Amino acid sequence: MPEESAGANVDAVVASVSAAVLETMFFEEAVESECEHAWLESALSVRVAFNGSHTGEFLLSVSPSAAQCIAAGFLGVDSADLVEGQTGQVLLELSNILCGAVMSHLFPESSLNLDPPEAVPTGAVPAGSMHHCFYLPDGPVAVSIRVLEGPQLV
Amino acid sequence: MAFSVLIVDDSPVMRTFIRRVMTLSGFEVGECVEASDGQEALERLRSRPVDVILTDINMPRMNGEEFLRRLEEDAQLRTVPTLVISTDATKGRILKMLSLGAQGYMTKPFSPEALREQLEQVLGERNA
Repeated sequence: MPEESAGANVDAVVASVSAAVLETMFFEEAVESECEHAWLESALSVRVAFNGSHTGEFLLSVSPSAAQCIAAGFLGVDSADLVEGQTGQVLLELSNILCGAVMSHLFPESSLNLDPPEAVPTGAVPAGSMHHCFYLPDGPVAVSIRVLEGPQLV
Repeated sequence: MAFSVLIVDDSPVMRTFIRRVMTLSGFEVGECVEASDGQEALERLRSRPVDVILTDINMPRMNGEEFLRRLEEDAQLRTVPTLVISTDATKGRILKMLSLGAQGYMTKPFSPEALREQLEQVLGERNA
């Protein structure tokens, strides 16, 4: 497969799987958007490292307003009723689900161990990563995957 | 008929979500017990049996694989239908969990309808 086609395919998988996760389990309609990253400075970000047949990292960044709506949608409560810590816990869960779902679709024969998700201070897009931005009704979301070792998509 | 359920997951928000989605799906939930890992789940099961178990894989203290092994070693608990819910959709992991005794395996993300379908399937297998 030509490299350009493979890249387009990867982009499509990352975009469609991420949107499906957000809509199915978090009840948020995700619309793919142009990347405009100034908001990442104030984003809430979570990193999931993975190893096994592939080694790398997944990074999720969510604007604070979108994070509240994601948490409320996941738990079935109003944003105002979220208790302390719940939004962060939901973002950890979302990053875990997104990472597992995207990697399983990109590399169905892979054997991966996902490290526990961890909140990180920066949402800067790692160099060399596959990356997508989405807009939810209440703000942007960015996902990045960087595969450092293991079979690559060609 | 309402079924008693044990949800095993180290994430409290995931346990809340599963409980909520079971209700949204129309699955009749009776008593719903929660545990944060396999070890706590075994303790709960020994004091109060349930109709069906939903378990995660990656958990501290006792993970889902070891939990399934312990269930299989227990003559009474091995008859309880178990549905694994995980982010891991790789074939190797799915086959491994089914070989350890899980009756069903569901990957995240999942819809309320899919969860209900899986629950009915694993409960049906037990009653078949």
